[in-house]
Amino acid sequence: MTAELALLGVVLGPLAQALLTVILARPPGMRDVVFVSLSLFTAACAWRLLQAAAAGEAARIALVQPLPNVDLALAVEPFAALTAAVIAVCSVLHALHTVGLMRVTREPAPVRLMVFIALCVGAVMAVAFSANLFTLFVANQALTLAAFPLVAHRGDAESAAAGRLFLATLLAASVGLFLPAMVWTYAIVGALDFQTGGVLAGRVDALTANALLVMFVVGLATTALPPLHRWLPAAAIAPPPALTTVQALAVVPAGGIGVFKVAAFVFGPALHEAAFATRSLIAVAGVGMCGAALIALSRQDMRERLAYSCIAQSLAVLLAVLLALPVGLFAGALQLTATIFASATLSMVVGSVAAVTTRQSAGDYTGLGRVMPWSLAAFALACASMIGMPPFSGAWAKLWLITGAASAGLTWAAALVGLAAILTFAHLGPLAANALAARAPPDPFHRPDGASIALVAPVVLSAAATLWLLIAADPLAAFLAPVWTPQP
Amino acid sequence: MIEDAIALARVHAPLLAVAAPIAGAALCIVTLNARFGWIIGVFASLISAAIATDLAARALVFGAPLRTAAEGVALVPDRLGAFAAGVVSVAALLAAIGAGARASASRDGALTIVLVLLSAAGWLAAAYTTNALVLMLGTEIAWLAGVGVVALGGEGKRTPLNAAARMLSVGAVGVAFSMVGLALIADATGTLSLSMLAENLSFDSQPFSVGFALVLGGVALKAGVAPFHLWVGAAFTRANAATLLAVGCVSAAGALLAIVRVVSYGVVAPEFGAAVFWALAPLGVACVVIGSVQAIGARDLRRLIAYALTAQMGGVMLCVSLGSPAGFAAGLIQITAIVGAGLALFGAATVSESYKVNDIDGLARRAPFSSAAFTFGAASLIGAPMTIGFLGRWRLVEAGVGVDWWWPVGAMTLASLAAVFYGGQLIERVYFRRAQEVQARSGDRWRYASFPALAAGVIVIALGLAPQALLAAADAAAMVAP
Repeated sequence: MTAELALLGVVLGPLAQALLTVILARPPGMRDVVFVSLSLFTAACAWRLLQAAAAGEAARIALVQPLPNVDLALAVEPFAALTAAVIAVCSVLHALHTVGLMRVTREPAPVRLMVFIALCVGAVMAVAFSANLFTLFVANQALTLAAFPLVAHRGDAESAAAGRLFLATLLAASVGLFLPAMVWTYAIVGALDFQTGGVLAGRVDALTANALLVMFVVGLATTALPPLHRWLPAAAIAPPPALTTVQALAVVPAGGIGVFKVAAFVFGPALHEAAFATRSLIAVAGVGMCGAALIALSRQDMRERLAYSCIAQSLAVLLAVLLALPVGLFAGALQLTATIFASATLSMVVGSVAAVTTRQSAGDYTGLGRVMPWSLAAFALACASMIGMPPFSGAWAKLWLITGAASAGLTWAAALVGLAAILTFAHLGPLAANALAARAPPDPFHRPDGASIALVAPVVLSAAATLWLLIAADPLAAFLAPVWTPQP
Repeated sequence: MIEDAIALARVHAPLLAVAAPIAGAALCIVTLNARFGWIIGVFASLISAAIATDLAARALVFGAPLRTAAEGVALVPDRLGAFAAGVVSVAALLAAIGAGARASASRDGALTIVLVLLSAAGWLAAAYTTNALVLMLGTEIAWLAGVGVVALGGEGKRTPLNAAARMLSVGAVGVAFSMVGLALIADATGTLSLSMLAENLSFDSQPFSVGFALVLGGVALKAGVAPFHLWVGAAFTRANAATLLAVGCVSAAGALLAIVRVVSYGVVAPEFGAAVFWALAPLGVACVVIGSVQAIGARDLRRLIAYALTAQMGGVMLCVSLGSPAGFAAGLIQITAIVGAGLALFGAATVSESYKVNDIDGLARRAPFSSAAFTFGAASLIGAPMTIGFLGRWRLVEAGVGVDWWWPVGAMTLASLAAVFYGGQLIERVYFRRAQEVQARSGDRWRYASFPALAAGVIVIALGLAPQALLAAADAAAMVAP
């Protein structure tokens, strides 16, 4: 398979997945096989693109050209290939978990849920492989529209309100800030293509750079940067598979990918021109991380607790890439990939627990590890990664993040990252420990047969993946180097 | 022989484009049969659209010189006029199909079709002339025909008659403004030829400026530009398909294009450019704000769409106030976007018989074609990528940033944010709400009437995906300006 074909496949695969899931909705067995198989196909395409990026292959496809010098295009570069591969692998596990969950919960509208999950994955793939700002903007809009039905899936008044908040926040930020920033960039540069070293480098004065950076970063509200973060806790109303898609696989990662691309390929060294904005945004992100972790501590509903925890992790990515250093970009990439695995594991376990035991409150998790050992062990591993405990993926990310912040002379930012890690420990550590170590509850299962293999296997594999940076951190640095090293 | 006939037709293209709907209207009057009249009306509009788009394509896309016979003093097209006529004629064709399909079943159907055709002819005449008096004459014919369409829309009920009376009163004020304005312009320059205004302008430009403002105000009033849109709410509240499509789309486009043309000739005089800017820029911002607020507050679907289009008109005013070729080109694209979205939304509302905003709840299940048209139109209003609405806003912001002028950027951002609210609401209702029992009975009806809505929706998307020809045409048309 050529890289171009794989590039097309990684975006069209999920679309075909959505379409075939609708067409082959009955019998459910056929639907489930198609759903999982096509997520495997997408993962295979993503894997091929990872190989292509490692081999230095250049692949770019332009779909349409709606404006002069601006096309809707996808391109392979190492960061995109890495994040797409991680998301695609997670999507396979999530597809399997979704299938298991649908059977346990007897979800009334499984096809709709599966279709929009697939569409979200397709959109986030387009975000990852976007070759220019315009494609990033379009893909982000598509992702928002595809995720909206997931948030409003239940159809009651509360879900509808959450859906409206989700849509209004993300679309308004995108149209109100990101779009004008994009047009402004076009007016300055005459094109919107991403470029190693940044298209704005040497072309903007300090005032313009500051304004553009704020507009781009705040315009990407999927990062959940305060005060545009309320959509994420509100979206916790969504059913578990949708929640995993929003928090771990598509929407939140898309924010991280977006800011990474803006920082690395639009600004590059021009971030130094925007010193005031970077410092301010780092401060907001740092304080936001701590605030979100603190609020998470006060939430008993596991879905809300995870939502706030997710905000803290997402803001860590933002903080890292705004350091305007290669080490910051590296830390950002590590943090993003680590968060995807950990967050996906946590939300899938929360979904499994809710489906099997009907427990959704943090207090009810006590002793559940005795009766759901595999799931809760995976939960504990993912918590450890989120906290940043060695040797899990999150630890390397946090280590590089703190190193990067200190290298940039921002010891206060490093301190905020450390504080956020402690607060994350406070809201996840005791929870995981109690779940594993405490005495088993007398009436654990709502369903007597417990969690099926389709619910257990994905979370165990996903949790195991949180260890992967232990062996991959060094090779990843070499793999990602082209992202911050302009080619001669 | 056919080639000779085509060549002859091309030489007299403006006259034929205007005469075709007039001839169609005459035939309708003779027959006075609504169904037969509709067929005639569609045929006449088709001929007119074919001629006008051929002229526009040859002149603007393929770069052929605009060589047509000067028919008396009236019809001497310029490139901007060719663009305007192309847009108006295609909109009129779709309006004739949609309006006529419904009118053919009504009591005053034939007369409605006659008035729709006359309205189109008036706007085409206004597009093809470079004489200010003829432009006003064409505008007035079109406006009065539109008033007639509104009056007939109620089939004897009082509300449309009251709306028509209000339009007549407001229009009378508008035409008074315009005529006084023309007199002042003629006094200042000694001519009413638009192309000769600049060279005849004396040092004392104050009467000219006042006259120009009055003319623009008169036309803006007919376009429904806020705050001169006093008639809009009344006219669209209980409007039928003919009113929505012919008045809400064709007339709006014709009037907006007339404004662009008048301003493009006016700003040739350098000392006058700044005055145009200060007249139109605040008007544009006010239009965006008022239209957006009214659209957000509207509960009547037709009013919501009308006010949403009014907000978009503010964007056109902002484009035009730039006074540069880039601004005019952006304005032309924006007008095309308004027409496309208007035809799609009004058409879909008519076909699905949706009158209140909550009538479209769950429409996707029972009326898929109308829902698609709603989606395309609303997406364009929002300025979603891959729609012509996005293209229009992009060009406006680009033109504004190009001259370090941030007003339009801010105003259009505001318009887009408001459009996210009301346009997003339409899409959300269509796909993600459940229909009430009463609504569940209605669905896609009137097969022929659904064509214009869908066609407009497809055009909105197609031009967003492949806009090269439109951009080239708009850029070429805008080069009339300095």
